[in-house]
Amino acid sequence: MSIIDPWTERLSEYLDGELAHDERIALEAHLDGCAACRAVLDELHAVVATARRLPDLPPSRDLWPEVAERTRGVLPFSPRTRRLAPSWARLAAAAALFAAVGGGVTWFAMSRGPGASEVPVASADVPGSATPRNVSDRPRGTDAAVAELEQVLRRGESRLDTATVRIVTENLARIDSAIAQAQRALAADPGNAYVSRHLADTERRKIELLRTAARIVQSQS
Amino acid sequence: MTARPWPGATTLHLPAERPNQRSDDETIEVTLAQSGDGHAFERLYRQHVTRVHTLVRRMVPDVDSDELTQDVFVRAWQKLGTFRNEAAFGTWLHRLAVNLMLERRAALGTRRKRYEADDAGLTHVAARRETPEDAMDMERAMARLPDGAREVFVLHDVQGYKHDEIAGMLGINVGTSKSQLHRARMALRGHLTR
Repeated sequence: MSIIDPWTERLSEYLDGELAHDERIALEAHLDGCAACRAVLDELHAVVATARRLPDLPPSRDLWPEVAERTRGVLPFSPRTRRLAPSWARLAAAAALFAAVGGGVTWFAMSRGPGASEVPVASADVPGSATPRNVSDRPRGTDAAVAELEQVLRRGESRLDTATVRIVTENLARIDSAIAQAQRALAADPGNAYVSRHLADTERRKIELLRTAARIVQSQS
Repeated sequence: MTARPWPGATTLHLPAERPNQRSDDETIEVTLAQSGDGHAFERLYRQHVTRVHTLVRRMVPDVDSDELTQDVFVRAWQKLGTFRNEAAFGTWLHRLAVNLMLERRAALGTRRKRYEADDAGLTHVAARRETPEDAMDMERAMARLPDGAREVFVLHDVQGYKHDEIAGMLGINVGTSKSQLHRARMALRGHLTR
């Protein structure tokens, strides 16, 4: 076989199962009589098999500290939202800050399933003497505070730019999602102190976000 | 004549493990990170950094892969707001990494003729073998492939992307992707069998 054997150029497609039926039949007929092409096919097979066995190549060091340093103070918003006016940026920063952490840790605890009261990565944050709380243990007035602030926000919504409203809405939705997850987790595992504490934290963050939004609404008056 | 399958024909077209496994857990992490949760982003980083670094190191072996991997995650953080859960986060991240690599290569002025015939480069790959270890051999041989052939080979045979996906990432057509893959495999075949 010569390197210009036209079938040689089709062997990769054959190997990958990408030839049309008729072409595959024809190539297999050719392979029946061409030991050289069979040898090439075996070699290509070996190349692909070797490629699939290649191990991952981790970085030479932990890159996170540098990534964290370079992203500090930068919010993960799209170019559109980064053109916000100062008050919007302030609100976005507040929203990001208040939406952070609680939901994620709640998710982690939830992912361990019912009965998972130990969270190794954050065990230092969960004192052994922590008293389990149920959803019903929420601070009094939480719902009222949320309702009042949401009302303020609704009344003042027309004074805000649509981009601002979108930021608030999106971040409230994220916080609400985290709250709902935590509530579901607590329903399945009422004694999970860790989830309970983060539910309370997340609700507190929601109130703080609403307060920030309300202050901005008032400043636009 | 009765057609019969040859070894590998029915197994090797299966995709390799890919960073496209969408999970609810990851969706939540991404949502939290989009809201500014740095801890969620760190968890995403730790989950994906090895595969991103692996991709970077194999795609552009002539740059500092640690530094470029950092750049990928910084860019990912900056662009996180554009991620819409239409693809798996890992796939989005890899696409972003490929774009960054292509930008970097363009900035270095080394992207010219990536997909032009360069049999001299392929011969060079086939002519050197420095160790009997297959994996080490393969890494070194891949690093010597012409850029275009190496990029397609890494994305297809190592990462498990399909030709249409590769074409989209690299801005080439599917036929070019297929021909570059075959060139790369033929060159590496020569290397591994010497």
